[in-house]
Formats: sequence, C-alpha cells, structure tokens
Amino acid sequence: MRKYAGIAIALLFFAFSISIFIQLIPYDSYEGSDYHYKNPINGGVANESIPTHYIKETKNETGAVNAVTAIVVEYRGFDTLGEVTVLFTAATGVSFLLYQLRKKTQGREANLITKEGSKLVLPFALLTGAYIFIHGHLTPGGGFPGGSVIASGFLLMLLAYPKFFVNEKKLSYMESISGSIFVIIGLLGLLFATAFLQNFIPVGKPGHLFSAGIIPLIYIAIGFKVGSELSSIVQRLKEVGE
Amino acid sequence: MVNHPVLLIAIPLLTAFIIPIFKKYGAAIAGGAIAFNMGYAIGMFSHIYSNGKIYETIAGFNPPVGIFLAIDALSALLALIINLFAFINFVAIGKESNYKFSMLYLLAIAGSTGIVITGDIFNMFVFFEITAVASYALIAGKKDKKALEGAIKYMVLGSIASSFILIGIALIYSQLKTLNIYDIAARIASMNANIKWASFAMLLTGIGVEAEIFPLNGWVPAAYQGASEGVASLLSFAPSKAAIYAIARLMLVVFPFHATYEIALWIGVVTLIIGELAAFMQEDVKRMLAYSSIGQMGLILVAFSLASQGLKYALMASLFLIVSHAASKSSLFLLSKSEKMYGMAGKYTGIVSVLSLIGMPPLAGFWGKWYLMLSAMDEKLWYVIILIFFAGIVETAYFARYLHRSIGKDGESSLRYKAAMAAMASFAIIFGLLPLLYKIASLPLWGG
Repeated sequence: MRKYAGIAIALLFFAFSISIFIQLIPYDSYEGSDYHYKNPINGGVANESIPTHYIKETKNETGAVNAVTAIVVEYRGFDTLGEVTVLFTAATGVSFLLYQLRKKTQGREANLITKEGSKLVLPFALLTGAYIFIHGHLTPGGGFPGGSVIASGFLLMLLAYPKFFVNEKKLSYMESISGSIFVIIGLLGLLFATAFLQNFIPVGKPGHLFSAGIIPLIYIAIGFKVGSELSSIVQRLKEVGE
Repeated sequence: MVNHPVLLIAIPLLTAFIIPIFKKYGAAIAGGAIAFNMGYAIGMFSHIYSNGKIYETIAGFNPPVGIFLAIDALSALLALIINLFAFINFVAIGKESNYKFSMLYLLAIAGSTGIVITGDIFNMFVFFEITAVASYALIAGKKDKKALEGAIKYMVLGSIASSFILIGIALIYSQLKTLNIYDIAARIASMNANIKWASFAMLLTGIGVEAEIFPLNGWVPAAYQGASEGVASLLSFAPSKAAIYAIARLMLVVFPFHATYEIALWIGVVTLIIGELAAFMQEDVKRMLAYSSIGQMGLILVAFSLASQGLKYALMASLFLIVSHAASKSSLFLLSKSEKMYGMAGKYTGIVSVLSLIGMPPLAGFWGKWYLMLSAMDEKLWYVIILIFFAGIVETAYFARYLHRSIGKDGESSLRYKAAMAAMASFAIIFGLLPLLYKIASLPLWGG
C-alpha cells in the first residue's frame, strides 16, 4: 500500500514539475524596459538586468577575462566564502565525529600498475591542479576544481600504498592558513577600499597572468584550502578502516 | 564603527579558520569571538534603533549586481538575540568542549546571523547550508545511538530541504534575473503565476524544515533528544529563530499575497495543535520540550502571518513570542541536564521559563499571546483565539507535570552553568517589562 502511494505521489510530483518547467521562458527574453530597480542604498535607479551587466561590464570592473570567475570571486565573492565555509564545516564535522574511532589500519597491498602509475601521476596531478587555480581568472576552472584535482592525486597514493599518509598537522595548518587568508583579504578590502572583499590592488591588463586584482590571490587560497580539506577527509576515512 | 555588519560574519569565520593552529586555546579564542559578536550586535542594534536601517554592500558593487546586507530593527533584534544567547550558552558549556566543538559552534552562530542580516536570497541559502551542516555535526557530537539517529534524520531532511530552497531560488532567477530580495519583492507581480507559486512552495518546504513547521519536523524530537544540552539549547534559539524569520521575510516582503497569508496561517495552526498535543503525551523531558518548541513555532508563524496583513499588534506578538521562546526554551534545555532541578538557580530558571511559555503576566510570553489575541479579534478570527486558550491549557497541563516531577534537591552543577541558565531565563522577565519591543514594532520594517 505504502509503495503504491509513494509511486503515486512521485508521479504527481513529476507531472507538477513538468507543468512548471515546460513554461520556463528562454534565457534572454526578459530584457523588458520595465526593469527599473531602485537602489535602496543611494536611491539610484538601475535600468539593466544582472546578466546583461555581467556580460557588458565584467572586463572593465574586475579585469578578469573569465566572466564566470569574476562572478564567483568578485560579484558573488561572499557566497563563495560561504561555500568554502560549508566545505570546511563538513570536513570539521567529519573529523569531529571520527575523532575517537581512529586507528591506522593496514589495507591490502595494491598491484604493481596502480603503485607505479600513481607514483607517476601524482606530480602531474599536483601541477595540473595548481595550474587550474592559478589561471582561474584566464581559463575555465578555479579553486574548487583545482583543489579537487590535487586531492585526487593524494587519493591515488592513499589507494596504492597502505602505509602512505600525508602529514595531518601540515594539512590542517594549510587549511587554516589558506582559509584565514581569504577572510583577511576580504577584511583588507574593508580597510583599504570601502567594502568587504572589494578589490584594493591594481587591476592590471586583462588577459595577463598578473591581472584581475585580488581574484587570483583568492583562488590560490581556495585551491590550497579545498585541496588540503578533501585530502584530509579522504585520509580520515582511510584511518577508520573496517 | 557599528555600521559594518559584515564583521558579524567575518570575525567568527576567521576565528573558526585559525582555531586548528591554536588547538589548546580553542575554546578561549572562540569565546572571545562570540563575546566580540555579542558586543557588536548590541552596538549595531542600538545604532539601528535610534538611526534607522543599515545597508552594506559587499565587494563594492551596488545592488542588485552585488550582494548586500540589509538590516532593519527586527533583523538587528534577531541578530542580537542569537549572539547574546550564544555567548551565555557558551559560558555554560564552552569550558568542557574540545576545539572542534568550538569551531562548529562558531560556524553555526555565524550562519544563523547571516540568514538574518542578508539582503540577498542566494546568500541566505548559503548561510542556511552553513548552519545546517554545523548543526548535523553538533547533534551527532554526543556519539551515542540517539544522537546519531537525530543527526541522520536531520541530515536527510536538511539536505533535501537545501535542494528545495535552491530550486525555488533558481525558479525566481529564471524569471526575474535577480537575487536581491528587495528587487524580487518589487517585481514579483510580473512573474508567471505557476512558476511563482512553485517557487513559493519550494522555498516554504525548504525553509520549513529548518523552521520546524508541520509536516516537515520529523527530525525535531529525535535531534533535540539526542543532542547534548548545550546543543539542544543552541538549536532552540539560533537556527530555528533564523529560519522562522526567513519564512516571515518571504511572506511579508517577497510574496505579499492573500493566499500565502492563508497558507501560512493554516500551517501555523496545524503545527500548533499537533505540537502541543504531542508534547502532552511525551514521557521524556527533552522530547516534551522539543514538541513544545514545535507548538511554539506554530504560534510564531500564526503571529507572523497575521502581521503580514499589516496588523501592528500581530508584529508585536511575534516579537514577544520569539524572545520568550528563545529565552525559556534555551534555559529549559540547559536545565534538562539532570532529572531534578539544581538548587535555587534551577528552580528559578524552571519556574520563570515555564510561566513565560504558559503566558503569565508580566513575562514576555504573556504579551505575545495577549497581542496575538487582540489582533485576532481585530480580524475576527475566533478560532485563533480559541486555539490560544487551548494551547495555554495544554501547556499548563504538561508543564505542571514537568515541574511537579522535577522540583527537588537532586543534582549539582558548576556555578557558571547555573548562572548562565538563570541569566537566560531572566531575559523573559526583562523583555516582558521593557517597552523596547513595542517601539520596534512601530518602526519602519521590511521595506521593499
């Protein structure tokens, strides 16, 4: 009985969702002249929707040629700080809960190909990860994917060698320092410019490595943070064992 | 100095990030950060109370392009309550906690404060995530079977709720191309009707899980029962209050239609009835308090939905109910550490909190129910008045049983713990006697 009721509810929900999503208006159809946003702060009136603003102004305002990065780190940098914190909270939660269960278990020995292969791949994984987050303001990618690539390199090593362990203290220090750097850059913006996370260093020439102000600095911090966090989560799960 | 509300979020985050380097002093550093937050919230509240709203842009882009924080007297009051009780609660439990607990505690506080002060709907979602993830870990932190049960229930429901909130936000963005709450409120009428109601339903479902409203509150009793006393106390004043404020904000500012008012009113009524009846049947103290919390959240939702019709009395009622519930429940959860009440401080805490929840003058809970009745009379909603009497009678019954069983000489606790408990309960008296909340309700709120 419950099974059929569940199926019926799921079908109803599905039909409901379809009926909504079928009416979604295509992306750029909302460019009406009725867009008159009154800014509550200074009373000014904006007559441009947000996507249009991003497409037109990103390069001038932030100096980044990758608009997605500019949105993630500059326009909505506060949300990114929040997302970094969510990951940090999850990592802290995992280590808080596994605190007493830890014992270093010895897994099975991996085969030769995995062992030699991961040894070979590790430096390239680190290099690729670092490349992805250093060039976040120029090419697709950024701190989160770069950090994940780095963590995947360590994951390979953890899988291949039962006795391999990253130094936990260093990981947690790196996590702390890179997270603090993100917040401190934001606070420096409050100090030297007018707002939290505002750019306070020269923007430079768009398209060059040293450009886009604080975006690369923040992305490097995020890359280190995500890399060390994911590595420490994976390592903790290994420690618990069977 | 007090017009940079972003510090209320930045400082706890920075502190939580650096605590792993100074493990030994973790609790002390966290205590310092929470004390800073409390001081800042008090300063900010008094500034806003006398000078009006504060807006702060993030990253220097004007809204609606950038994120901004918008704080009126009501959100400043909520931020004040959250940070004040967080500090008192941390005084009671901070010394015994390890550094990871302190980090999670700071993150939960920063998240709840963020929900209250932000003016951007996606930003609100991010802070919901932070608060929820920190709460899962804090609940499970006791590491026995019941704690894990509560945490898993909350985690499953909370993750689904997060995706609902996200889909709701995406639906709004797909139509209006904006995330700013003021902007959405100004142009909500131009949305396609079906998509508008779908996004409302999804936001209500998602935030409703955090706000403990029926029928989304399956996690509440298990989580409150499983969590340690300090964490249960934290849950009762920080995330739930922030979430009910978010629901009120959506109703009052973003979706100001007659249908949303009716939906919220009926959900509130059903939550109230079910919560109170379930509390009456419980044997376990913490479960009883948890169900009683559900009932109170229903009452607050009823008050907010009447307030969305522009009734000043209902807004006052919701403020009083929030303050009363935060003060009484957080102190009662701290008190539930042992079967019996500790000495004088315990008896004082128990009796004051219970009287405020039942609604005895001149405590804050009385004014809440009184003004709610007055506004219901204005609207001729007789069943709301009957319900308030009904809730009062049921509450009296189960709280009388609770006091009868618990008053005794058993149990001892540290002076800090007792002082914190009594201080929390005292706020039910202080806010009941001060004219502060009346004045807040007559200030220009919400905006849009």
